[in-house]
Amino acid sequence: MAEKLEDLNLPLTVVTRIVKEALPSGVSISKEARTGLAKAASVLVLYVTSAATNIVKNKKRKALTGQDVIDAMKDIEFDRFVEPLGEALEHYKTMASARKSASMKKKDEQEDAEIIEDD
Amino acid sequence: MATPKSEKDLHLPLSRVKTIMKSSPDVEAVGPEPLYLVTKVTELFVMDLAKRAHKNSNANFLEYKHIADIVQEDDTLDFLREIMPRKITVRQFKEMMAKKAAKNGDDSSEDSSEDSSEDSSSNNEQE
Repeated sequence: MAEKLEDLNLPLTVVTRIVKEALPSGVSISKEARTGLAKAASVLVLYVTSAATNIVKNKKRKALTGQDVIDAMKDIEFDRFVEPLGEALEHYKTMASARKSASMKKKDEQEDAEIIEDD
Repeated sequence: MATPKSEKDLHLPLSRVKTIMKSSPDVEAVGPEPLYLVTKVTELFVMDLAKRAHKNSNANFLEYKHIADIVQEDDTLDFLREIMPRKITVRQFKEMMAKKAAKNGDDSSEDSSEDSSEDSSSNNEQE
């Protein structure tokens, strides 16, 4: 377990960007507030992971799935995130299959090009 | 890696989130799908907390205490209470300690250090 301490923190610049996008323009945020939110975000990752892992263990499975993360929301009383996460999961699956068919198509095109050049 | 930036893309680095997830005990494999959702919910959570704190602030300046107040008052945020305590001034802390010492006044008089300082007997308490 050779993790440096920084590796368990989320980058402050990124957290700041997220916060700025969520708030109206012109709102300034103290450094302490930003650091606090970054730490809270790290703790949240652990909290959600732990809740999702409990679900997986109860179902006697090993690997986490996206649905486990969504189900964990109900356990930790974050029901307000269930719907947005459901949409995110759909979006993710669409992106993943689009990427897959794009790379398969690219592969086919490359093979065709090789056949043409190879005379 | 040239991925097109759509508004649905995540800000937080997936590799870092994955490192944090894997530091949790009992976690085995973390595939891309759950990783994506954990990262997503973390971003949603930060936005949500920031918005609530901002409402709490009534101004254009968001401070730590606005966030700490939300955390202390919302039971679903209990898991954050230890890392986001409400902060107090040194004076308030001293007053708290003095009250505590006054309460334990009978016990502390048995210690030999009571003659060593001009401050109150709360000095012999360890941190």
